[in-house]
Amino acid sequence: MNAKELCEGSRANYANFITWVALDRSNLSAGRQLSVNYFIVAVILFFAQLLFGMIAATQFIFPNFLYDWLDFSVNRMVHINAMIVWMLYGFIGCVYWLLEEESGTDIVGLKLGKLAFWVLTGAVTIVVLVYLLIQTGAGKDSSLWLINEGREYIEAPRWADIGIVIVMLIFFYNVVATFSKGKWSGIAGVLTLDLVALAGLYVAGMFYMTNITHEQFWWWWVIHLWVEATWEVLVGVIMAWSLMKLLGVRRQIVTTWLYIEVALMFGSGILGLGHHYFWIGTPEYWLTIGGFFSALEPIPLVAMVVHAMYDAGSHSFKNSNHPAVAWIIAQAFGNFFGAGVWGFMHTLPQINMFTHGTQWSASHGHLAFFGAYATINIAFFYLAIQHWRGDVWMNSDTANAWRWKWALGLLNAGVVGMTVALLIAGYEQSFIERAVEGSTWGGYFSAQNHPSFQSAMVWRWFFGLMTFSGLILLIWDLLTIGKGETRKAQEIVEH
Amino acid sequence: MIEPVALKDFFITFFSAALIIMAGASYALLFAWSKVNTNPRIKIAAYFSYLVLLVAVVLLTKAANFSGYWLTLSGVMVVGYFFAPIGIWYLCVKTHAVSDTQQATLEDK
Repeated sequence: MNAKELCEGSRANYANFITWVALDRSNLSAGRQLSVNYFIVAVILFFAQLLFGMIAATQFIFPNFLYDWLDFSVNRMVHINAMIVWMLYGFIGCVYWLLEEESGTDIVGLKLGKLAFWVLTGAVTIVVLVYLLIQTGAGKDSSLWLINEGREYIEAPRWADIGIVIVMLIFFYNVVATFSKGKWSGIAGVLTLDLVALAGLYVAGMFYMTNITHEQFWWWWVIHLWVEATWEVLVGVIMAWSLMKLLGVRRQIVTTWLYIEVALMFGSGILGLGHHYFWIGTPEYWLTIGGFFSALEPIPLVAMVVHAMYDAGSHSFKNSNHPAVAWIIAQAFGNFFGAGVWGFMHTLPQINMFTHGTQWSASHGHLAFFGAYATINIAFFYLAIQHWRGDVWMNSDTANAWRWKWALGLLNAGVVGMTVALLIAGYEQSFIERAVEGSTWGGYFSAQNHPSFQSAMVWRWFFGLMTFSGLILLIWDLLTIGKGETRKAQEIVEH
Repeated sequence: MIEPVALKDFFITFFSAALIIMAGASYALLFAWSKVNTNPRIKIAAYFSYLVLLVAVVLLTKAANFSGYWLTLSGVMVVGYFFAPIGIWYLCVKTHAVSDTQQATLEDK
């Protein structure tokens, strides 16, 4: 088969695929068409995250698997980077989705927004290809700019960093200019202030300091103030808007609670990040600050529990999109257990000195990221697909509803299973490697070769496969749900 | 100054810390439920959850070797987790009451 035939074949397959999914873009406004572009890339990167996670999990059991061809360090890096980027794509998509309706006008600077989307997507593709094609080599100034910056979790080379900040600024312009042209609201205000922090804090990860403690101090700003604080507020904004649209909760209520969440975040969340300043050479007072404020961090989650009970007791809610609401409920539980319970279990310095950076952290990370961020993005994917289909009926009696229910079950059970398996591995690792053998190399290998660690890794692989199966089912469902449905979505009345 | 957890107290430290959050949330849930349902057993269950939280705080305080100003943290957890659901409930009633009144006014018009 020559190149021309291959090209024509691909084109025909793509045309068949488009016919099969039967999604009509004319059901969406121009702004929402940009939003679904972000969602599509988010789903592709979600797939990449799980694929590379599975390869890395396999290498924990069979260390020679793809050795010297696709090393564990690269797989782990792509796994984590893909996760951060797909969630960011999801959040940007959510904001573009709500922007026109919330402001009451068309998006200002949409062409620039579209250009930014393609620039960002092109940059992400190049960065991933470079990660995969140039896995080893000397670390020089040029490699920092062109190949890999070398900082864990934010390895993207400097040129891509600059590109990300520019794209964030364009996104910020779209949002602020649109609200300025249309109308401002409480949600718009919180969103705008949060986007200032979203673009600004990333800059903290773009300069080097010669002192490793100073270096780590600023690096944590990106990892934790960016991901934990600004993303949490962004999720609050998205959740507030979703609750109005899906359950008909009154604007005044969601706005008030959004302000309360921001206040709690400032009161406990920012200083709670002190638990990431343990053991990097910062002054000892960070142990106290991190410990005390980490103990207060679950209060917003307690607030959520009380408020949910109040609403359940006072109003009988109807909703127009059962899969989306199911994922929002999953978000509440996942956030509570992943961030609250799993976080506080090992956050006090008296115990954290043994657990920090072990598989215990990975256990917490898996459940917290999935629970707090993946779930709300998936909920929004269902909200978007409902409108893309022409605002059709999307309840439990929809054709093939088993798909979204099984996808929900497999993804959640898979992540919970991985979390428990990693918890067992982390417990063993912190006990043997850290406490008994004093963080020595010998201790590291004793822990890695311990039967309970190794069997935990096998269970992690199994539950990883379950999660991956759930994602494939989720993608199938997103492509097909509502196809052929003629009933219109239930109208939601404001409570 | 912190004193690391002893090897024998590893499990109890993790377990009691997790239990504080679980019991705190359980107390909050049952407290809120007791406000929308008059069954007195729910309120008793809420206070039982809080009792579990108290025991968990004591266990964590001992296992994590809290002393000096670290004991304040135990106090903050005991007081904070008791009053937080009450305060949040009050906020719920107030925030909803204002909008309920406005809604009723709008409907009257």
